Amino acid sequence: MAALILPAGLLVLLLLVAPMAMLFRISLNEYSPTQLMLEALQPGNYLRALADPYYQAVMGTTMSVALSCTAICLVIGFPAAWWLARMDSKRKSLAVILTVFPLLVGNVVRSAGWMALLGRDGAINAALRGLGVVSEPLQLLYTEGAVIVGIVAVVAPYMILTLSAVIEGIPRNLEEAAANLGAGPLVAFRRVVLPLAVPGVVAGSVLVFILCMNAYATPVLLGGPQFKMMAPAVYDQFVRGTNWPFGAALAFLLLVVTLALTVLGSAVVGRRYRR
Amino acid sequence: MAVRGARMLFGASVAGAYALVLAPVLAVVVISVFSQEIVSFPPEGFTLRWYANAWDKREFARGFVTSMQVALVATAIGVPLGTAAAYALTRARLPGKAALNTLLLGPLAVPGVVAGTALYLFYVRAEFWVDDDIKGTTLGLVAAHVLLTIPWTVRLVSAALAGLDRSAEEAAANLGARPLTVFRRVTLPMLRPGVVAAGLFSFIQSFENLELTLLLVGPGRITLPVAMLNYLEFRVDPTLAAVATVQIVLVGALMLITDRFVSLARVV
Amino acid sequence: MGTLQLAGLSRRYGANTVVDGVSLDVAEGELVALLGPSGCGKTTTLRMVAGFVEPSAGTVRIAGRDVTRAPPHGRDTGMVFQSYALFPHMTVAGNVAFGLEMRGIGRAEREARVLEALRLVRLDGLGERLPRQLSGGQQQRVALARALVVNPAVFLLDEPLSNLDAKLRAEVRVEIRNLQQRLGLTTLFVTHDQEEALTMADRLVVMERGRVRQVGTAEELYERPADLFVANFIGRVNALAGEVAGPGEFRVADGTALPCPRDAAPGMRATLCLRPEKLRFQPWASAGVPAVLARTVYLGGQTEYHFTLAGAPVMALRETPPAGDRLRGLQPGDRVTLDWLGEDARLLPEVAR
Ligand SMILES: Nc1ncnc2c1ncn2[C@@H]1O[C@H](COP(=O)(O)OP(=O)(O)OP(=O)(O)O)[C@@H](O)[C@H]1O
Ligand SMILES: [Mg+2]
Repeated sequence: MAALILPAGLLVLLLLVAPMAMLFRISLNEYSPTQLMLEALQPGNYLRALADPYYQAVMGTTMSVALSCTAICLVIGFPAAWWLARMDSKRKSLAVILTVFPLLVGNVVRSAGWMALLGRDGAINAALRGLGVVSEPLQLLYTEGAVIVGIVAVVAPYMILTLSAVIEGIPRNLEEAAANLGAGPLVAFRRVVLPLAVPGVVAGSVLVFILCMNAYATPVLLGGPQFKMMAPAVYDQFVRGTNWPFGAALAFLLLVVTLALTVLGSAVVGRRYRR
Repeated sequence: MAVRGARMLFGASVAGAYALVLAPVLAVVVISVFSQEIVSFPPEGFTLRWYANAWDKREFARGFVTSMQVALVATAIGVPLGTAAAYALTRARLPGKAALNTLLLGPLAVPGVVAGTALYLFYVRAEFWVDDDIKGTTLGLVAAHVLLTIPWTVRLVSAALAGLDRSAEEAAANLGARPLTVFRRVTLPMLRPGVVAAGLFSFIQSFENLELTLLLVGPGRITLPVAMLNYLEFRVDPTLAAVATVQIVLVGALMLITDRFVSLARVV
Repeated sequence: MGTLQLAGLSRRYGANTVVDGVSLDVAEGELVALLGPSGCGKTTTLRMVAGFVEPSAGTVRIAGRDVTRAPPHGRDTGMVFQSYALFPHMTVAGNVAFGLEMRGIGRAEREARVLEALRLVRLDGLGERLPRQLSGGQQQRVALARALVVNPAVFLLDEPLSNLDAKLRAEVRVEIRNLQQRLGLTTLFVTHDQEEALTMADRLVVMERGRVRQVGTAEELYERPADLFVANFIGRVNALAGEVAGPGEFRVADGTALPCPRDAAPGMRATLCLRPEKLRFQPWASAGVPAVLARTVYLGGQTEYHFTLAGAPVMALRETPPAGDRLRGLQPGDRVTLDWLGEDARLLPEVAR
């Protein structure tokens, strides 16, 4: 039966582990403007990336945006997930489609939608001016806020679906038992549903956090040229520049920071709610 | 009264979450019929001419076809392999199971840009060895996207397997079914919602993927999201909105049809 | 503690009326069992009392207060769920303390009452365990303690014993009844096990397809069932269709005369019902009702004798006769004489199949 793992395992080894090893190896090479790369084993690229205030700022922005987005997703995703999980099956198909279908539309299209909503001549500014709330259009687009809203909208369905799968596994009669013992809906939620949904909270947050750290289209399109997150920065190194060793080091740093925060976060939540 | 307040707060947050997720999709549909070239609110008038315009931009049609091909093939490869692996992972007595599990879920934990960069460098090196193109070929794209489909399949099918009642399988064995028959006649049908979910999400991951794909596309082999990103370049334009609307309608229809055959309510 | 009154309680799902005009008064400290076949609406009725299902019509009053539209947490009912519904992430003590916490009872009193409740259900010392570390019977008693400790106005149990094995069930049955009587709890108890209902309840409510067929004490339902459904549901019964021919005489289709109560109106078409233990018999003699022995079922202390009477099956239940008794010699196919007191039979107005 172990042979059943072989094909998938080998594919992942070939297409992820080997390339990652190669990426790491290249990140230790030296850049040469004339020969592109010189074989070497030196940490210079990492030291440069870590010391450079520009990349420090980019990494800082990436982390703060990703953390905010994850937190917001959790807060807005939980009620929606509960609603989805406890819905009767007749209407549920439609609700699931409503949740999944934006994922298939892709985040480039959804960023375009936000641009139409948030731009100087966008729907929101037009509405605010029409109502006489503001006289000059507000700068909504090309702000960190726009990026956060955009990313949240992109990743929220993942949070909702992950949480709702876990909530569905919590017997409904536990909520009834809590109500029967005198707990109002909010108390029943805090004392019974939330603690039992911790595995979903961890799984959903990890998934969403990684997607946020990785965001490309949204920061590029909604953040504008001045706003930089790590994914576009890494990409630029390979498309606009030719310094592959440095680009590889940046990519690796992004990976390490993402994994470190993921592990740390799960451990903290896990410890708090250890049964 | 506290109950009423809680209920209203709850309703408002559910509505808010869905409004946030659906607003940009709706906005795209709306602006696709605005008559002016530079999108601004309120519209000056309405037209369908951007749809004709979109039809003329062949890169989108080609992108759609490429994306479909890649997503379907990657799903067709990744789902069976992932399902087999998930089955062995949950059922077999294996040493190092946890490590294997981490390996198979690994692609989920690696940011797409990082994996994409690594694959790009790997392809460059491999092209040198095999003396043929890999970057910018369908094969290269499919290989990369299989990497997306395997972890999602393993994740969703494992979850389905964990929730499976073993006694039905034991009953089948007790009635004389051989292991393979048990799997085919009992396990697999019971796993169907999990496998369908795996197929759906694998398809989604591949079809909408941008980060992993960005560096791996080539002339004539551009996926729809990349084609749209290239076209968008800091300006919303109703032609793009028209393309997106067509995509939205197609995708929506596809999901409604899927729902006819397998109730999506039981899938997720 | 208080009374429970249901008036015209109904619940519809679409065109399907699953509870249909149930009216019932439960007196203070009384235990009433809701009894009926699967799907007859017992759980739905109980859940309407607890507030988990909204009635389509009718009212629920607890201690005189109309709670029909009150939320579950404002009703002061204590429910024991069929699957127990213990909070898996809380200890046994945490589970039992939950309801007290919700009522704003301070820590010191809470702890004392939890200990007391756990002692009551004989789980002293297990307070720090998690539910999954307990056996089924122990979990059941935690659920009981959790509902009892808040001293609810109405105590609700939905087949709380169905997950227990036969021996444990008999034990817990007695425990629950003792606790209920000691604490004077007004209790509504759902079961489909008639023995459970007969041994525990002050009164029984027999339901069928959403309607109440009869309410009464065990004795009333057994001795004077209102209809054939109740007669069949509570205990076993021999049912023979026919017509009252004269004072104390009932005739079945082929003309065989059977004893029946003397006060029955002649000419009435009816079903004669007779409990198996009221049926006496002896080897063939000239006087009495002729029948043929079909088979015997030996049950240890008792034996079932199945006969064919005018083409219909009837059954007698009696103590197994001592060795050497002439009844021991009866073989299937032997002719016998049946006999019973006319007053032991009961005539029901409907005609059996
Ligand atoms: N949410 C619902 N939607 C539709 N029909 C329902 C619903 N809940 C219950 N019913 C129907 O109502 C009827 C009564 O159900 P209920 O659970 O009250 O039966 P019960 O007497 O408790 O049976 P059992 O002894 O099997 O537990 C059943 O026919 C059931 O199918
Ligand atoms: Mg029931």
